[in-house]
Amino acid sequence: MGKKRERLEVIKDILNVVRQNRKVKPTRLLYASNLSPQMFKDYVEELIRKKFVQVELIDGKNKLFSLTKKGQDFLMEYKAIENFVENFGL
Amino acid sequence: MLDWFIANKEILKLIYAFIIVFICFIIVIRTHRLFKLSLHQGIRYFRNAFLFYGLGFFVRYILGTPYLGKWLRIDALISGGIFAFFLMMAGFFLLYSLIWRKIESENKTHLSSLINGKILIFYLMAIVLIVLGGLWETHYFIFLSQIFVFSFAVIISFNNYIQNGTKGKFLKYYFVAMLLSLIAWALNFLVALYFNWDQAILSGIYIINLIIFFLFLFGVVRVARVK
Repeated sequence: MGKKRERLEVIKDILNVVRQNRKVKPTRLLYASNLSPQMFKDYVEELIRKKFVQVELIDGKNKLFSLTKKGQDFLMEYKAIENFVENFGL
Repeated sequence: MLDWFIANKEILKLIYAFIIVFICFIIVIRTHRLFKLSLHQGIRYFRNAFLFYGLGFFVRYILGTPYLGKWLRIDALISGGIFAFFLMMAGFFLLYSLIWRKIESENKTHLSSLINGKILIFYLMAIVLIVLGGLWETHYFIFLSQIFVFSFAVIISFNNYIQNGTKGKFLKYYFVAMLLSLIAWALNFLVALYFNWDQAILSGIYIINLIIFFLFLFGVVRVARVK
């Protein structure tokens, strides 16, 4: 069994999927994120709250996720953040 | 050499404080940016530690310098008390940045990391120790509290180094910085208790402190850079 992903790693994985697809439906993102539906819901809510992703409503009901500038910045600096947390034992 | 240090001690203290305040400023700015992006609580507490160190040294050695003249400078007793308070808070935050995962949920973010229920305990402890020190006219409460804090920090950082030293190259230096911090606080305690504030030992403590801050600066600038 693989090692449990760290929270930051999960966020990076979700954001990467959104970036690769530019605009992505929740079901596809759930499938690609490899999380349980409840955990996925928690993470996505967190990412929207932190303004890493934004939600568009298509036809008034279907959701599409896309990356914000803040989400792009996070992905750019993810390695630095990961290094920092690992190297300082935080 | 020591005579030269003693003869120029006020200007040297000022330079010493400017270096440390500058290092803290860089660390706070850099870690604040990382925190804003990641909302990682460990980074947040680490940032707070250096915010308090910077404020402490600024108040004690820059606002308290005799070069400001008696009307501008803060009274030595007050600046000393504020310095001790900030230093204790910084020590608590540094230790907490290493153990927060065992106490808080990773996904829970406090609105403020400076004012919340858990951190109020730190404020309370620091104020109680300052008041006790004032009542007994002694620095021992502060020294002992920090010896206690950094003993834990040494154990935790050593454990981190042993477990993850291959992944995080700076963990070795982090452990060294914690060990030096413990040595500096122990020397402070000994110099007050047995050596009547011996200037040679105090100069040694200042040098150790500079090494510690430079180590952290090196870590923050080098490790947290974007490649």
